[in-house]
Amino acid sequence: MTGVLTWARLSYRQQRWELILVLVGVAATTAAMLWFAGTLDGMRAASPECLASLGNLFSEGPGPQATCQAVITAYNDNYNWGTNLVNLAWAAPFGIGVILGAPLVAREIDGGTAQLAWSLGRSRVGWLLRRIAFVSLFGLALLAVLAVSSELLTAAMFPEQTLSEDFIYFGRRGLPVVARGVGAIMLGVLVGALIGRVLPAILAAALVIGLVFMGLSLAEDRWNRAEATMQRFTVTPSGELSDMAALAVDYGMETADGEFITYGEASARGMNPNFADEDGGWYASEEDLEAGRLLGYDARLSIPGQRYPDLVLRHSALAAALGILALGLTGIVVVRRRPA
Amino acid sequence: MTGTEPVLEARGLAKRYRRKVWALGGIDLALPAGGITALVGPNAAGKSTLIKTWVGFEKPTRGSVRVAGIDPWKDRSAALAKLGYVPQSPSLYDGLSVEDHLDLARQLRPSFDRDYARNRLAQLDIPATQGARDLSGGQQAQVALALALGTRAPILLLDEPLASLDPLARREFLHVLTDAVRVDGATALLSSHIVTDVEQSCDRLIVLGVGKVLLQETVTAALEAHAISLTVRPDAVASFAAPDGSRISLVRGSADRPATLDEVVLGYLASGRPSSAAAA
Repeated sequence: MTGVLTWARLSYRQQRWELILVLVGVAATTAAMLWFAGTLDGMRAASPECLASLGNLFSEGPGPQATCQAVITAYNDNYNWGTNLVNLAWAAPFGIGVILGAPLVAREIDGGTAQLAWSLGRSRVGWLLRRIAFVSLFGLALLAVLAVSSELLTAAMFPEQTLSEDFIYFGRRGLPVVARGVGAIMLGVLVGALIGRVLPAILAAALVIGLVFMGLSLAEDRWNRAEATMQRFTVTPSGELSDMAALAVDYGMETADGEFITYGEASARGMNPNFADEDGGWYASEEDLEAGRLLGYDARLSIPGQRYPDLVLRHSALAAALGILALGLTGIVVVRRRPA
Repeated sequence: MTGTEPVLEARGLAKRYRRKVWALGGIDLALPAGGITALVGPNAAGKSTLIKTWVGFEKPTRGSVRVAGIDPWKDRSAALAKLGYVPQSPSLYDGLSVEDHLDLARQLRPSFDRDYARNRLAQLDIPATQGARDLSGGQQAQVALALALGTRAPILLLDEPLASLDPLARREFLHVLTDAVRVDGATALLSSHIVTDVEQSCDRLIVLGVGKVLLQETVTAALEAHAISLTVRPDAVASFAAPDGSRISLVRGSADRPATLDEVVLGYLASGRPSSAAAA
């Protein structure tokens, strides 16, 4: 136990300022998330007559009374702040990867302390794992707090939706936030170990982490597209958009032949939807409408909300695997490189 | 490993950095156990590179090195277990105190003798709670030495630890090193380009020219074997400028007066230069 405490104390002191910076940032964001979640819940409870209809954007019937306008405006302001904060939860793993990951080995090499550590320690891999473990645990614990807070805020913003089966703010709440932190921190460490200078490592890590996760996102889009099903994208008679819990992979048209094409492809084929019938069918001209020469319907490729847990796990596993790969590469770099 | 086998060896050791710069060009060295050996040479002679190949920080381009019979590049862990290393600059962690450094060393190497290192630092009145960034250059060097000594390793490699120290700090450092080596029976290799600093402390001398060994002898033998001729002699090791501007020669055997260690080193460094004009 004493050894663990000593390890934690030394690890903290070796990277004190970055850890404090991240702690303050996450604490402030978390506090703000919880405050806005509480505020939104409180406002709905205090003014149900004004805010009840806001959960359904397309509800019919009389709009809110004029006396409610101030309440609705205030609610929307808070809601917008909530959206910004949830977006911060999306960016936080990348920021933490850059701030905590990049300097971890780079500073040791830049400052010459790697010479001391690598001559005292008999295994550089062992040193690396010890060095990374504390920072990773610290960063991931904070991200976990942020992920839960983001989940609570999302629940406050969408009280009528079942978030465990809903892709709303996918990747901005829950497990993916933590898993992306694993990937980003390890990528940051790898870049730092390769470059060996703190400031260039921080800049390069920001670029590399951004590019790698962009690539991961594109790969996941392809995967999702292969699994997505076509769904007509219309406002239902009850006033709701069809299956808003689903993950929209792409938007376009369902042709009369039942094929999905994007709007770009439709335009390239000379399909210009100008007139719509009552069922949402699109026609090129009034004459086509009257003649029943249908172009197609607005449609999207989507994955139903019931698959949210699967995709969360898959996204998280990919991000974590990326982190493990980066850690392995860092081990090779550290074993082979000069300490200064 | 017997007492007669060298503890540090280099066989045909050559090291080339990028852009085809050769730092070492075929070094053959064998250091017996015990005592302090001075590794002397000018800047860019390859002293740090040589030491770093033994620590396993540099991979030989050609040839091989051994630490107590172990190739540090093939079995770094076993080689490091035999080594204590003091880098060129003390390289301590800014955010850690002296005591933290001892704890860190203990974590990195479980056999690290924290009490031994702590006692050595206490004798020098270096407060354990002091932050590393608040220590003087001399104190930082002493902490780095204590970290190396605390390993209780049989071989100590010290890479120009005296370079940035004032004369008093250098003397204290050498005193601690000498004492530790004598008491523990360790073998130390101390690189420096300041001959006078190591003259009193070292048993052996290695003069490294630009990438090659120019002299390898005990200090006593080097002094006994060399003399200074006040005139230039064709059989001299080398001729070089005396402080008064006259040209003198270092010769093996007898001459006008005994050579000082500084002159022995200067003579061999001059012999390693491409031309005598450069030496002058």
